[in-house]
This record gives sequence, C-alpha cells and structure tokens, in this order.
Amino acid sequence: MTTRATRSPRRRTVAALAVVLAVLSGFILRLVDIQVVNADEHIADSQALALGAHEELYGTRGEVVDADGEPLATSILKYDGKLDPLNVGPIQREIDGVTVEVPWEQVAAEMGAITGQSADEIMKIVDDALAADPGSRFAYLKRGLTTEQYRELAALRAPFVRFDPHPERTYPDGAVAGNLLGFMGSDGQPLAGVEQIENACLAPTDGERSYQRGADGVVIPGTEIETPAVDGGTLQLTIDRDLQWYLQQLIAEEVQNKQASSGAIFVLEVATGKIRAAAEYPTVDPNNVDGSAPEDRGSRLFLESYEPGSTLKAITAASVIDAGVATPMTTVTAGDYETFPNGARVGDFESHPVLNYTLTGALIDSSNVALSKFGEMLSADTRHAYLQRFGVGQGTAINWPQEPQGVLHPTSEWDNQTFYATTFGQGYTMTSPQVASAYQALANGGLKMPLSIVESCTLADGTVVEPDLPEPEQVVSKEAADAVTLMLENVAVQAQMADYIAVDGYRIAAKTGTAQVAGENGYKAGVYFTSLIGIVPADDPQYVVLTTLDEPTTIRSSAANRQAFQKAVTQVLKNYRVLPSDSQTPILPKTQ
Amino acid sequence: MSTLPLNSAVATAAALPAPIQRPGRRLEVVAAPAPRRRPRLLYGIIAVAGAVTIGAAQMGLSILTTQGSYEVAQLTREARDLTYQKQILTDDVAGLNSPQFLAANASALGMVIAESPNYLRLSDGAVLGAGEAALGGSSIDALGRPAVPNALIAEAPLVTAPQSTIEGVPVVPDAVAGAGGAAATDAATPPPITDGLPVPRTH
Repeated sequence: MTTRATRSPRRRTVAALAVVLAVLSGFILRLVDIQVVNADEHIADSQALALGAHEELYGTRGEVVDADGEPLATSILKYDGKLDPLNVGPIQREIDGVTVEVPWEQVAAEMGAITGQSADEIMKIVDDALAADPGSRFAYLKRGLTTEQYRELAALRAPFVRFDPHPERTYPDGAVAGNLLGFMGSDGQPLAGVEQIENACLAPTDGERSYQRGADGVVIPGTEIETPAVDGGTLQLTIDRDLQWYLQQLIAEEVQNKQASSGAIFVLEVATGKIRAAAEYPTVDPNNVDGSAPEDRGSRLFLESYEPGSTLKAITAASVIDAGVATPMTTVTAGDYETFPNGARVGDFESHPVLNYTLTGALIDSSNVALSKFGEMLSADTRHAYLQRFGVGQGTAINWPQEPQGVLHPTSEWDNQTFYATTFGQGYTMTSPQVASAYQALANGGLKMPLSIVESCTLADGTVVEPDLPEPEQVVSKEAADAVTLMLENVAVQAQMADYIAVDGYRIAAKTGTAQVAGENGYKAGVYFTSLIGIVPADDPQYVVLTTLDEPTTIRSSAANRQAFQKAVTQVLKNYRVLPSDSQTPILPKTQ
Repeated sequence: MSTLPLNSAVATAAALPAPIQRPGRRLEVVAAPAPRRRPRLLYGIIAVAGAVTIGAAQMGLSILTTQGSYEVAQLTREARDLTYQKQILTDDVAGLNSPQFLAANASALGMVIAESPNYLRLSDGAVLGAGEAALGGSSIDALGRPAVPNALIAEAPLVTAPQSTIEGVPVVPDAVAGAGGAAATDAATPPPITDGLPVPRTH
C-alpha cells in the first residue's frame, strides 16, 4: 500500500536529484564558459600572470642580390634612444672603487658627444617633454642610432635611457640600381621598385616568445613558449651590378653633356629575355631618398611610354618579310615628301632626290615615305596583328607598379594619316622595355621571350621559387627575323652614324629613333625623345642594348645617343667576355 | 567434534542409513589462519632507497638544468655582444665594396677604363680584337664626375687618394680628422721598399 510514508522518501529523492542536477549543470555551464567560450581570454590572463616576460621576435627582411649574388639591399638594425624625462637626473658611477655622482648636465654632454647633439639640445628635449606633461615618461633622445652609438650610450649606464631596436634597410651600392630596387618608408613598408613588387618574397613573418624569469633575469627552464620568426627570402635579380654601375655613370655623363632632361640605358639578354641592366639618370640613392626630387625616385624606364618612332621601322620590315610580300632587296620609289592617294602626307627627316630604295636602304636612310610604301603592301589589320605580336600595347611580364601597357588603337580608329604613321613607329605608344623586347624577338630568330628582372626567390627554408612567366612566342619566322637583323647590321655600317657607333672587331646591328614629345599644346617644337637600339654581336646575337635621351639640346636628333650607345655596347661586350666577330658584314645595296 | 572435511561425510553417506537431517546447523570449522608474517626489512629499504634515489636524481637533473640555463644565459650574452660587434663592423665597411668606390679608387691611381676589349687566345697565341693600347682618357670619369651617389660612403676617404671621396670633394681637414687621416694613410699605404724585398732572417 502506497501511503504517505512510502511516497515521501521517493519524492524526496527526486527533489534531491533535481537539485544536484541543477547544481551540476550550473557547474558544467560555467566550465564550458571558462574552458571554451572565454578560453583565449583566460589563457592570456594566466600567461600575463604566470609568464613574466613576453617578447616579439622579429624576422629579418630578405636580401636583394644581383645576378652574381652580390648584395644590393640588406637589412640592418638601428636603434631608437628613448628618455624617461621624469626620472632624468644625476647618476651614480663607480670610478676606482669610489662612487661619485655625475650631474645630469655632464651626462647630457656625454650623450651628446655620442649622438652628435649638444648638451643643451638634449636638456631641451627633456625640458620640453616635462613642460608639455609634468609626468612625462617618454621622449625620443634620437632615432636611428647606429649599433656603435647604441653600445656607447648603453655603456654610460644611465637608468633613464632605453633603446628599441628596429630593422632598417641599407643599400651597400647606393644609387646602383636604385631605380629598380625602390626603397622603404620609415614605417618599414616598401614604397617602390622590387621592394614593393616582391614584398611577398622579402617580408619576414614575426614570431613571439614568452617565458618566466628568475630574480636575476635568467630564464626558468621549461617555462618558455616560442613561435620562431621566419626570415624573408633572398631575392635574386637578373641585374649585373658592375654593368649597371658603369651604365649609370655613363648615362649620367651623357645626359649632362647633351643637356638632356633624362636618359636611360637598357640591356636585355637575347636568349632569355632577362634584363641585365636598366640604368637611368637622374635617379635615386635609396639610402638617401630625400636627396632626390620626388619625380626622380621612380623608374622612368618602366613608367614612361612614348611614340617610339623609327626604331619600330624594323618591325614593319619584319612584318612584310614574314608575310612574304617583300624581301630585303624589294624596291619602292620614294621622294622625301609625298602625298598618298588617301590624302595622307608623309615626309622624310632629311631631304633627298627620288630614289629607288630597297627595303634595306629604306631602313638605312630611315625614310618614312619608303616605309609607308612597304607598309601599305599589308592590310591595316595584318600590320596591327604583327604589332601586337611584337608586344605593342601588351605591357610586359614585369608588371611594374603603374607600368603603362602602351596604346595601340584598333584599326577601325586609324585615320588615313595613322594608316601610314604606324609603319614608321608613330600612332601608338610603347615603353623602352617594350621596344627592347621587340628587338629581342628579332635577335632571337623571331622567338619572343617574356621580360624578367627576378631570377629567383630563395625562401628561409631553402626552397627556391622561380617566377611564373608567360610562354615564349614565335612572332615571325626565323628567316624573317634573321633578314631584319642583317638589314639592321647594314644600317649600323652604312648609315651616317656608322663611324661613331662602331666597336673595333665586332659586328653590330643598330637603328635610331626620334619621337616627338607631347607637350601642353600638341607636340613640343624642336625637342625630341631620342633613342638608339642595337643587337650585339650581330653575327651571334647575345644582347639588345637601348639608349635613350629625353630632349637633348646640344644635339637635338637621335645622333645625341651615338657616344652613349658606342660606350654602352663596348662595356656590355667586355663585361660578358663576348669574343670578337671573325667575319665581315655582308653589304646589301641601298638603292637599285 | 569431527575434523573430517565435508567431502568424506558425503562419500560415506551411502554406507550409512538415512542421513540425519540437522537443519539449522551450518557452522563449520575452518583452519586456523596462518600466523601473520613480519614484513621483510629489505623491501622497505629498497623502496625507501628507490624513492630517495629518484628524488636525488630529480634534484640533480634540476640543478643541472638550472646550471645549464645559467650557461645558456651567459652564452646568449656573449652571442649578443658578438652580434653587436658584427653589426658595428658591418656598418663600418658598408659600401666600401660598391662599384663606384672601387672605380674611384682605381681612377685615383691613374687607371682608365679602356675601349674595345682584346683577347689572347692561348691555343695559338692569336690576339683577338683591335689590339690597340688604351690611349687617352677613360671612357667614363668615375673620380672627376662621380654621378652614382652612395650615402653610405659619401664621406669615406678613398684608400688610394685620402684627400678625396667618391663625391670628388676634398675631405675637410680639421685638427682631429687631420691626425686620424694621416694615421689611416699610414695603415693603408705600405711603407716603401728601400733595399730589396724583405726576407725573414734565419740562422
């Protein structure tokens, strides 16, 4: 029989169980809260309490080295000296076993002797900080101290000075390749050049380390937790620093001699498309960025595009030969100024009688009229396609920040004048690397290699990462490319510049270019962007050398480039130990 | 009182007349428990000694680790000092191997960058190239018109011409720098040889 007496203990049990469960679930909730929900916070709290010290571990930014592994950019440590103005005062110093008090004025003078400040300047820093905030605990003594200065200051044993290391970039070769390397901001962010483009390779990953310390500062064993920092990778460029230096010195002298506004020399390896030198003037010393005008801190080579002019006549010649409508000996009759059936008017730079020009001769005399007549053998669309294949309007594989792609309008937008202007390098724009790249294709039997400036990135763990480049492209047949190279060699031998650009013992192919410079109202009068590009040695093409002078004034035509080109080519041949040619240039007739 | 085991009672049961039922009597006699042995002293000693050994080993290891961490701290300090020294030395020579510094030094010695290259072929002794002497000046003027600056060595005197820097401008000689400069010259320029090459004296 279920009476009150038997029912009540069971009910009591249930009630007790309920209470126990309620309490238990309360505990479980709290446990989950502590262990899961707010775990990170509590771990951080406990580490702050339990582990005495915590420090960031900084990785080192990777080096940039040249093609031979010589460093172009390295990382060093600089130190920021910080004062604790509130606690500034006399310090105790032990001299010969006797403790003496050194007054603050003397300490300031000793510090100043190291940092290059006067005692008054240092005392003023402290006074100013205290005037601004009577409880001030922080003021910069001096930032960017060298390790030597830092150790000397630390040896003074002044308790109110602290030092914070911070990594800084240094460029052992100064302005050598400064235009390419770029530089870093004071906050450690890359601001230009390969420092910026290849930041993913160079940037380190910071780590951290926490540990407990004994009273004497020694780490207590077993209390360390360390996530190591990972150093940045080593970036190898294709640049040769000795060649780069010579060409920078050369172009600087030539820019000054010709009173040009700027100049550049660009060297490209024919077989690989690797940029071996890209010298410019004026440029920047990344150790002293403020020493250059803001417009000189970038790379004009990669940032300025222009109408290339006569250098691109070689591309017209390659197009007509590759399409099979002409050979180097095909002739046209051309005067020095002609009006074409569609109304376009074309004139030559130099006056001459009506001549029966071969294609070679048209290139030697750089006749716009003759090239227009060769160009019109092909339709606009065909020539447009050839120009595109040679890289006009296509950018480069370098992907320099803000690098222009170059402008090549579709043929539907070509007017009658543009139809002919595009045969002699006008009506579209290119950068110097694009022009050099087009010549690389001609020199390499029609096989156009993608431009590259980065050889490889070697990560901290030894993995070598090579850049991902587009596939090489056969833009014209080998026969067409070789024929154009031979014609360009005849240009180098038969044009007016022949004696000035010759290098004893070597066969050279070369072509000049004069581009009009866009000003505020159309083209600027009387000043040009001049260039001279060559393939050396012409019998076994290995390097493309391009020199440019922007608006030279002592000589205003492309002739201004002759000395720069001749010396640059000589140095390239010497630098790479290219053996002299053992044959003579086969002479092709200019007219028939 | 029977001391026979229960089994013998069962085995003899058949021979006996009807068993006598004695309900309620289930008590049996058990053998007297073996006298408790005294624990052996040896085991105790081993256990205690083991515990002590473990404790001592633990303490010894701990002392060694602590000792080790002092050593580590000491070596870390040394490593840090050496790192500082390395940094200072690196700062001192930074830029001295740059091409413009080398070229300016060579130029100060009167060396020129010649024109077209020439090669001597070893197999037949043939001279390849123009084969002319370098006449006249250098193709560029690394000392007179330095155009590739390097802030790291802007004020470093040239090794071969201590009065100049790569910037070409004379180093401003003040009293202290003058004395230091002279000492630097002495260190960099070997003393002139007056009577033949120096040879070690032997008996």
